Amino acid sequence: MTEATDLAERAGDRDPRVGLRAVAALRRLLEQLESVQVRSARNQGWSWQEIAAELGVSRQAVHKKYGRH
Amino acid sequence: MFERFTKDARAVVQGAVEHAERAGAGSVDAEHLFLALLDREAGRASFALAALGLAERGDAVRQALGEARRRAGLSQADAEALAGLGIDVSEIVARVEEAHGVGAMSGDRKVKGWSGRRSFGRGAKEILERALRIAVARRDRHIGDEHILLALTVRPGVSGEVLADHGVTYESVVRVLYGGGEAKAG
Repeated sequence: MTEATDLAERAGDRDPRVGLRAVAALRRLLEQLESVQVRSARNQGWSWQEIAAELGVSRQAVHKKYGRH
Repeated sequence: MFERFTKDARAVVQGAVEHAERAGAGSVDAEHLFLALLDREAGRASFALAALGLAERGDAVRQALGEARRRAGLSQADAEALAGLGIDVSEIVARVEEAHGVGAMSGDRKVKGWSGRRSFGRGAKEILERALRIAVARRDRHIGDEHILLALTVRPGVSGEVLADHGVTYESVVRVLYGGGEAKAG
């Protein structure tokens, strides 16, 4: 079996528990990554507007989520 | 709910808040409750952990919890589920730490001067709610540190996984505390 089909098979795992757990874990990973990158951008003097534009969300959304910290 | 907590359970909750503050965590998490339980030398949960041999392996447990925190609080089972999608969590953590420092993915921030009160995160709230449900199901009149430990064993996540790795499960805790076997509650 090639690596690609192996991956495709796993990604479509029949057991919803495994698939859902992967989604939840990915979301958590994503949240932490976003937090790291937003803080890094702020430390480098980026404006909320610039950060929001890169993330593809509104300035208000990103400021509300990270503005206090 | 808190008025029904025993002195030992309150000490665990207080200890969890202190752990979160020391780490610079944004909120009190389930793992902080577990760390606070490990610190205790009195109480029914401490007795159970000692009886199951966990007390003497405290350092290994703390290390496992610290490693999980460094990978965004993901358990081994989470990491395996992601590996199933072709995502290597340790590789991601290594690269982020290379650029942003060790512990960058932990969510802990050592912000100077930030001494605001920590709120309880969803995971920690779930543990306390489960502890209450377990106490009710067992017809115990108070919520003790042993109910917090039992709740940690049944909630999927890092703490439950680390406890299970060391042979501490709902069943084994019930066995050493109450003797005999019985159905799982909560």
